[in-house]
Amino acid sequence: MNTQTMKENINLTNMKEKSIAEIHAEHKQTIGEPFCDNVKFSTRNVDVFYADNQAIYDVSLDIGKNEVIALIGPSGCGKSTFLRCLNRMNDTIDICKVTGDLELDGTNIYSKNQDPVLLRARVGMVFQKPNPFPKSIYDNVAYGPRIHGLTKNKAELDELVEDSLRKAGLFEEVKDRLNSPGTGLSGGQQQRLCIARTIAVQPEVILMDEPASALDPIATAKIEELISDLSKNYTIVIVTHSMQQAARVSQRTAYFHLGKLIEVGETNQIFTHPRHELTERYITGRFG
Amino acid sequence: MNKVTQKVEKGLKKRYMKEKIFKACGLVSIGFAFMFLLLLLTDITIKAWPAFVQTQIELKLDLSEENLGLNAKSAQEEIKQADFRAVIRSALKKQFPDVKKRKDRKELYSLVSFGAEYQLRDLVMDNPNLIGTRSSIKLIADDDVDAVVKGTINRNDDESNRRVKNLKLSLIEGLEENNQISKQFNWTFFSSGDSREPELAGIKGAIMGSLYTILVTLLLSFPVAVAAAIYLEEFAPKNRFIDLIEININNLAAVPSIVFGLLGLAVFINFFSMPRSAPLVGGIVLSLMTLPTIIIASRSAIKAVPPSLREAALGLGASKMQTVFHHVFPAALPGILTGTIIGMAQALGETAPLLMIGMVAFIVDIPQSIGDPSTVLPIQVFLWADSPERGFLEKTSAAILVLIGFLIIMNAVAIYLRKKFEKKW
Repeated sequence: MNTQTMKENINLTNMKEKSIAEIHAEHKQTIGEPFCDNVKFSTRNVDVFYADNQAIYDVSLDIGKNEVIALIGPSGCGKSTFLRCLNRMNDTIDICKVTGDLELDGTNIYSKNQDPVLLRARVGMVFQKPNPFPKSIYDNVAYGPRIHGLTKNKAELDELVEDSLRKAGLFEEVKDRLNSPGTGLSGGQQQRLCIARTIAVQPEVILMDEPASALDPIATAKIEELISDLSKNYTIVIVTHSMQQAARVSQRTAYFHLGKLIEVGETNQIFTHPRHELTERYITGRFG
Repeated sequence: MNKVTQKVEKGLKKRYMKEKIFKACGLVSIGFAFMFLLLLLTDITIKAWPAFVQTQIELKLDLSEENLGLNAKSAQEEIKQADFRAVIRSALKKQFPDVKKRKDRKELYSLVSFGAEYQLRDLVMDNPNLIGTRSSIKLIADDDVDAVVKGTINRNDDESNRRVKNLKLSLIEGLEENNQISKQFNWTFFSSGDSREPELAGIKGAIMGSLYTILVTLLLSFPVAVAAAIYLEEFAPKNRFIDLIEININNLAAVPSIVFGLLGLAVFINFFSMPRSAPLVGGIVLSLMTLPTIIIASRSAIKAVPPSLREAALGLGASKMQTVFHHVFPAALPGILTGTIIGMAQALGETAPLLMIGMVAFIVDIPQSIGDPSTVLPIQVFLWADSPERGFLEKTSAAILVLIGFLIIMNAVAIYLRKKFEKKW
């Protein structure tokens, strides 16, 4: 393609479509079904500021019990920030300010009475990069139960550790080397160890921040399989860059763009018949 | 070949040339530094070598009961009072009957050290069965004899330029002919305190003083500095006041050390009436000096702990305190320990502030506690370097070697600890 035709093409695109920034600026109301029955987490009019920069604009979204909801969107759209509001992980950032109502089972998690430590025991989190503690595999999983005093004796703890590792699909691979360091595992195994560690605290909700982005396709497939298994017992909120992943694991999908929640709906519907222009452009790969 | 490749190829030679020049510069710098280090160490080692060897004179001593005024059943206290000096002198007189003049006799008696009689006394007190015998006993030689034997004083110099005159030289040569002069490893150097006599001076007082001082410094500065670093890095709110503290800590690290000495003198000795010349005060002053070093090193070690580790712990519902003490602190420990030992090494080599609080005094006794007057290794070097006697020249170098030895041991410990606690993630 020579430069002449390229320029023409660009001109054509510009004439045909409104720019993304324009559409984004015009967007006011979330399209689709942000609310649902059987609510676990309900968020209303959430704004998040980093000092003077607003990262999230007026997001209202319900997360149902035992559902897997995927948060998708281009980089920097605020999906991770929103996720971190749900277990008050943003508290660790001094300049971060969260406003709006966020309720877990009807209690405001940002109220003065809510202890963030207690909240994080109920709402577990798995991070983008596997981050096992530089301790043994056993100690990694046992750490949460130990600090919360979940087990009465060593036998119970052993059982809980084994159970958590089994649920994370890791037990068979590591049962002979529970005392070797967790950091010695492969990337995919480390991530499953981190999931096992989260499950061991027996949370009600698991937040996953791009849990498979640092993994190869085989490890990713294992993690996705695991998410499907876990969804029977847990409510899972997953942030992902991969639309295929969102399509495979989630029941509902929420599309974020530059801090606004653009569209929420059944995953199938979002990927086959997106109602908003930005969503359509994103999932057809015209930007992102 | 297209234009880009040609251009790249044209520039390649220049690029590689630059790299080569830089590598060569680096090698030269390292060589330069290494050469100076080698020069320093060789010079000190060569100069220090004689200090580790002690010259002794073997004399046939008449330890008969009448000579000492004792008998085999005498009490320890009586033995202590006996005239050992006379025994040594009579042995020397007997060997050199030709020396008659009073002045020459003085020269003769000064062949053995001033401390030889105490050496003999201690020997007899430990072995009372020596009383009543005639035994050959090796006594410490005077520093002049020592210098002649080791060759520090040249026998062929003109007499007017030589510290040891002809008469004494002939006496020494007489002893040498009889094989009465011998050399052995200088245990005295490691087992006694300071002395005005070079042959009797030892470094143990300074070593103990240094150890007590460092102990006080470590016990005070490590917990305080680590607590301060953890608080500032993990818990402190970000506000102006904390910024001010941070700036002050950094400034404190650059304050000349003698200022801390003045502070110690004014506050701890004059105001709180703590003992002068004591490792206690020295340790407090040095810990004030090393605090900023350890705080800065610990903070950067804590800062270097990956945030993902904190998030992992917080995400599991660990409290801030648990996160810090279960995960951040152990991960930062190698860096903290390295910083601490660097601070301790700095404190071990520090002289100026200790001058101000009186640790520069001449102290013979070996300190037994942190409250006893004492001196430290670098000040011992300073004191000996200042002494006019030739024998102290080699002692100075030997003391420097001991100091360097301690520093090497401390650094080795630092490396070992870092390797031991280091964990990969």
